[in-house]
Parts: sequence; C-alpha cells; structure tokens
Amino acid sequence: MMPSPSELDALQRRVLGLAPEPAARLDSPYWITNDSYAVLRHVLHDVGGQPDAPVPYLDKEEADWELRTYVLCEVLAWRGVWNSEVRRRAENDLGATLYYGLPYYGRWITVAAKTLVDKGLVTVSELAAKIDEVRARHGAGA
Amino acid sequence: MRRFQIGDRVSVRDATTLFHHRTQSYVRGRTGLVVEHRPEWLIPEDEAWQRDDGRVEPFYVVRFRQVDLWPNYTGLESDTVETEVAEGWLVPAAEETTS
Amino acid sequence: MSDDHDHHAPIEGGDEISEFDVLETAIRELAIEKGLFSAEDHRRFMEWAEGIGPHGGSRLVARAWLDPHFKQRLLADGTETSKEIGIDWLDPTGTGTPSDFTYFYVLENTPAVHNVIVCTLCSCYPRPVLGQAPEWYKTPHYRRRVVRWPREVLAEFGLHLPPGVEVRVHDSNQKSRFMVLPMRPAGTEGWSEDQLAAIVTRDTMIGVAVPRADWNADRAPTEVRS
Repeated sequence: MMPSPSELDALQRRVLGLAPEPAARLDSPYWITNDSYAVLRHVLHDVGGQPDAPVPYLDKEEADWELRTYVLCEVLAWRGVWNSEVRRRAENDLGATLYYGLPYYGRWITVAAKTLVDKGLVTVSELAAKIDEVRARHGAGA
Repeated sequence: MRRFQIGDRVSVRDATTLFHHRTQSYVRGRTGLVVEHRPEWLIPEDEAWQRDDGRVEPFYVVRFRQVDLWPNYTGLESDTVETEVAEGWLVPAAEETTS
Repeated sequence: MSDDHDHHAPIEGGDEISEFDVLETAIRELAIEKGLFSAEDHRRFMEWAEGIGPHGGSRLVARAWLDPHFKQRLLADGTETSKEIGIDWLDPTGTGTPSDFTYFYVLENTPAVHNVIVCTLCSCYPRPVLGQAPEWYKTPHYRRRVVRWPREVLAEFGLHLPPGVEVRVHDSNQKSRFMVLPMRPAGTEGWSEDQLAAIVTRDTMIGVAVPRADWNADRAPTEVRS
C-alpha cells in the first residue's frame, strides 16, 4: 500500500537522519576507560592490518624540497645529530593530526626542526627568524 | 649465544608497548617459525632515544602463516608474512601459545 | 583524473614557494652555520642521492637471469654482490645511509612463491638499488592493507596470482632491506642484459607486478601526478 504523503515525509526524514555513528569527540575528557587509553596510546606508525578501502595507487614526481629533505635528514644522522629511529619516533610523537595531515617528507622536515630545537642545537626564535628570512628572500610575502 | 635456531617455533610476547617500538601489534601474541638469523642490533626501543649504549640483541626472521594473524583471512592457507623480531620479544612457542 | 582530494593536492599554490621548502632551507642553512654538518657533506650526499634509481635493481635482476653463479651469489649475499654492478651499500658515508643501513637481501620468486615488500611501520625501502620509493608505497594506505589483504592489493595493481602460489609478504620492520628477484618471462630467450634490464621495472622488484616481454616502460599503476 502506498504511504500517504505525510508518512513518506516522515520516512524520508528518518532516512536523512541516519548516519554512521560519529567518531568520539576528544576534548580533554574528565576521565576515560582503560580501553580508550589503550587505543589512544597505540603507537601511531603501527598501522599494518588496519581496514581501509581501496584507493588509486598514485605515483608522484618528487619535488626538489622532498629530495633535499631526505638528504638533509640523512646528513644530520651521518654527523650524529640524530639517527633514523629518532626521526621515526619523533614522527610518532607528532600525534595523529600531524602524522596523518602531513605529506611523507613534510613529516620528516617538521620533526627535523622539532628535534634540533628539543636538543638545544637551535632556539625556536632563531629558527623562526631564519624561516622569515628565507621566505622574504623568495619574495613570498612576510 | 643465540637462544633460537632456524626451524624453532617461537611466540612473540604480548608485552606492553609505549611511545615507540618496531614489534608490530599484528605479531604480538602470535606464533611463527624462525627461518633466518640476523645480526645483533641495538634494539629500536633504545635507538629511538639515541641510547647508543643501549641493549643489543640478536634478531630473527620469523615467518607467520597469514591465517594465524587475521580473522577471516581472505587469501590462501599457504600465504605467509615474514618480519624481523628481536630476541627479547621471543619465547619458545610452547611457553606461550596463541589463542 | 578528477578526484582531487586534499590528501593529494600539492601544498604549493601557483608561484608561491612551499612552506616545506622554506623550512628545509632554513634548517639546512642554520645547521651549516652552526657546524652540525658541512656544505661539502651535503653536496656529497646529494650527488649520491641524485644518482640512485631502479636501474641498479634492474641490472641485478637481468644479470641474475643470465648468470646462475651471479644469481647464487646475489641470493647468498646481496650487499656484497651489489658491488659487482658498482653499488656499494657503504656509500656515500663509508657506513651506508642512516635510514637504509647495509643489510640487503634479495627474495627470489619461484613458481610456488611470490614475494612482495612493504614496511608497515614507516616506509623502509632499498634506496641504494631502487632509488626513492614511489609515493603510494609510503602511504599508510598501502602499509595498512598489503600485509593483510595482499591478494586484493596485488589484484588492484593488475596482478592476479593463481592458486598454488604462496604469497609471502616481507614487512621490512628493522634494519634489513629487500628487493624481489622476479621470474624471467617467456619470450625473452636470447636477450642481452640490457634488453632484459629494460623490462625489469621498479614495481616488479617491489613485487606488485611481474615482468613481461612486451612491457619496457615503467608501469605506473595509474598515472603520474607532479
């Protein structure tokens, strides 16, 4: 039997109202369960076996800064400033938003900066001033 | 000095991990077969904080059957995964069996 | 392709220089000013990095197909045997590269076993013989899936393996680096080493493809996006 217009309207509103359960909102909760803590402290890089839908496998030409980032990070390790495992750990330390938000070599260059500051080899104001200087040199706005 | 020989069945300890490790959660608590020896290396848990005087352990290539790792594995019974595990993460299979 | 996820959109906008580019330059200049390394160190490593690529691996495979003794040596000691084609895993520092170390193993495909490599924890890759990893290899997506759904992932690359072939995934999670030695395809009888090397594409040495006599271009799975 055909639904009446009002019944159809109610059905359609219910269809529209259906959505997958939203992800939990994290905003410094008063308390969490041990289960939640186990999930939160899962080491980020350990992704093997996490379900994911197929996507196209894209090749991409490497940008100059990406190759330079690789070389910079390797030379810093060659000269003992850090090592590749310190870099990988520092990538985990970025937290999920930055870990997944940055491109691959964007992660590397970000943690190179962070590590130099953490080790006291560069001050954060020195680095910021240098960034402004380089940007100005390229005339890319202040 | 090595605790395990090629052909030994070993289980990966289901130990707590914090902050950084290279022992994947998909092998922790699982049982596989030692198929190759690797050299002694600084363990990544120490290397990640640049503790160059940290613990050095023999490493092993362990082969796992895919059907032992995943619920409803969609490939064939014969499919496998190999990965490297530090000795400190391993126990003889009999001591710790998989569920 | 029309799907233009933020995920793949370049951070560069028009002529504006990337903030990653700015950051790299700033750190490099500060590091040299402070003596953390020298400009010469950087130049030396850069020169090496610009010279690596899959041609090294292709040469290893082609020679292994032609010379059974070379193949035996390559499978027994990949690091040492690489020197025979001019690749020294100790380059360019004298102790190897900090990220890829000096432990290189070649995995032989057979009619019974097909090998495929991944690093589920980051993106370990045998750079000295294959160059920089393709972008997809470094994504969490590939790292998540190939270790658990290898046959599905290989099928997405167009590689359908028959029953009876064991798929062996190598998760290079520590200091070893791996490369697949694919099987020599039919139709290549009498070919020279150069002819054979030309069909050994990067993807065949990762294990997501197999060589074919009629493919000699690098077979990008979808497209190149710069």
